[in-house]
Amino acid sequence: MRRTARFPLYLGGLLAAVTLATAWEGTTVAAQQRAAAPAAKAPRTAWGAPDLQGVWNTNTALPLERPREFGTRAMMTEAEHAKALADLQERNQRPGRDSRDVGGKSGVGTEKDVARAYNEFWFGDKPTRLSYRTSMIIDPSDGRMPAYAPEAAKRIADKRDFLAALLQGTSGGRPGPISPRRSERSPDYNLDRINRTDGPEDRGGPERCLGDNLPVTMGTGTFGGVMQLVQSPDSVSIYYDVGQGQGFAWVIPITNRPHVPKNLQLYHGDAIGRWDGDTLVVDVTNFSDETNFRGARENLHLVQRFRRVDANTLQVEFTAEDPTTWVRPWTAVQELERADEKTTLVLEGGCHEGNYGLLGMLLNTRAAEKAFAEGKGPDPATQDNATGGGGDN
Amino acid sequence: MRTGFSRALVASIGAAVLVALAVTASRTAGQAARATRIDGKPNLNGIWQVTNTANWDLLAHTVKPAVAQPGVYANHPVLAAPVLALGSVGLVPAGVGVVEGNEIPYKPEAAATRRENGEHWLDRDPEVRCYMPGIPRAMYMPYPLQITQSPGKIQMVFAYANASRTIFLEDAPKPPADKWMGHSVGRWEGNTLVTHVTNFNDRTWFSRAGDFHTDALDVVERFTPITADALRYEVTITDPNVFTRPWKMSMVLYRQLEENSTLLEFKCNEFVEETFLGHLRKNQLVKRWEGDTIILDVTRRVPEGDKRYER
Repeated sequence: MRRTARFPLYLGGLLAAVTLATAWEGTTVAAQQRAAAPAAKAPRTAWGAPDLQGVWNTNTALPLERPREFGTRAMMTEAEHAKALADLQERNQRPGRDSRDVGGKSGVGTEKDVARAYNEFWFGDKPTRLSYRTSMIIDPSDGRMPAYAPEAAKRIADKRDFLAALLQGTSGGRPGPISPRRSERSPDYNLDRINRTDGPEDRGGPERCLGDNLPVTMGTGTFGGVMQLVQSPDSVSIYYDVGQGQGFAWVIPITNRPHVPKNLQLYHGDAIGRWDGDTLVVDVTNFSDETNFRGARENLHLVQRFRRVDANTLQVEFTAEDPTTWVRPWTAVQELERADEKTTLVLEGGCHEGNYGLLGMLLNTRAAEKAFAEGKGPDPATQDNATGGGGDN
Repeated sequence: MRTGFSRALVASIGAAVLVALAVTASRTAGQAARATRIDGKPNLNGIWQVTNTANWDLLAHTVKPAVAQPGVYANHPVLAAPVLALGSVGLVPAGVGVVEGNEIPYKPEAAATRRENGEHWLDRDPEVRCYMPGIPRAMYMPYPLQITQSPGKIQMVFAYANASRTIFLEDAPKPPADKWMGHSVGRWEGNTLVTHVTNFNDRTWFSRAGDFHTDALDVVERFTPITADALRYEVTITDPNVFTRPWKMSMVLYRQLEENSTLLEFKCNEFVEETFLGHLRKNQLVKRWEGDTIILDVTRRVPEGDKRYER
């Protein structure tokens, strides 16, 4: 049985690493195209609409982007799949975060060892299945995200430089003196894990409990996510129990009204749903610069498609478009598996309500500054509080 | 479990009712006419909101300062510092009350806690911190909520803090832990949706006036359509740790009928960071933090126009 309980415990400061690790581990796909069993007919609601309802998640590994070795091939051969599955099973045997080595050497008692905090327990069960798909991305044909538009490349490079400057002279950064940029404001609305805690805005979005963004791609394991979908003729109401208390409720009205005025910037955007045959098509605009989907901020335009493939499979597809971020739109698809609702519960996040982590980061940093000023400790600016263990990879 | 036949029967009856009641259907948000019944049950789908002042105070009250200090007359308090500059905007609107008998039956020691809660409202009310409001408070906050109703589950999403709840009508799982929003199990009694809500924590309140409960709270709600666009909402509160007997609230939820009605987010957690963490900034934005105490300089500049008459 999958471990699906969510833990209200919030250890501020480590989530970004967790999120990265989960994303790397493989956002996943569920139903195998080559599944032998004939698919049960997709059910319909009492009012005759395709029934998308249920609790959905996945235990099937699938990366967002395609490993280059597959070129433009969207599906693996049997031989490739067998080998990739064996590799996955081998990886599952590795100690992962249970190892306390840092850079191949014992890291016990080091700053990175202490900062790592989570062990493998928190990541839950490992994926046991592997999709025949070579990537979630189906367009462009190489299965990889398109290039960044020049302005986005600059935006992202500027932020990367800023992050590096804040780490300079610490164990997680390049050698050198403490950077004068430590007193600068972040070049973007900061949502990253940066090596500074002057105020709440310096901590990452998850550490501030801002909640996850659209589109949600599900991973496997405890942090992989569970989604509950309830449906009526008027609206589709989704609760994403994702991240670590980063869950959120998302209501998609089924309507032909136009989008809300352009000046409304919304964390979860403005969704408008319509039925295209048996597919729910959701157009989402009006995002906020407080969101960041792989480099896209307020100009993101999403088209999401939800389709019940069979009794146990919900296909979720999104096309992401933003000329200020990517040179062309791109599309990814994921098949979610129907979960047993008795054992796979969707729980409220409660991140903000229990966020002693953010308080602790601010309090500890002020205390460290005070101790340093009194000659009792190191300069907090020389400490790495951002790269979270380093030895994860 | 329902059989395929009975489901088909219900569906066909539902369809017949749809046709029969199409005349009385309401319209919102760019949609075709909304049926007054769905799957044989009253159709609660839509965006709803109370128009009362229950979130300020469940009992009958006249207009009063949101934060008060003694005035010249003991029974006529005036606006106090946190809301002083707001003038009329800092007032609580009057209400006839939503509690049956206009009395909440607190045990004596709980009555004292409630009084203290009211006096220390800004320090203690979970709403001020943008915490999930719990049930029933979420239902009568002065912000809208959206209902998505299906035969097996009813999902309610609240604009305030992106809070939400699921009412399980079929196959309710057992909750593994207490929840801010409780655990709701519902059933239809004729045209009335009856829910039983349990598994609360002891952190939520009923109102800004300091009405509180413990984790023994047990809530029964009744949603009954009065018209296609109005729901009678009745609540029975039981908590033997706090109250001498169960007590009841009753109010009405109204449907938003604007063509462009949509549930906009009331995302408050980033805004309360300054209130609760501002004193921990390296460089303070509000300059008058002394330790963990915020010193409020309430400034109101007399406008030029007024000055002419004050010469």
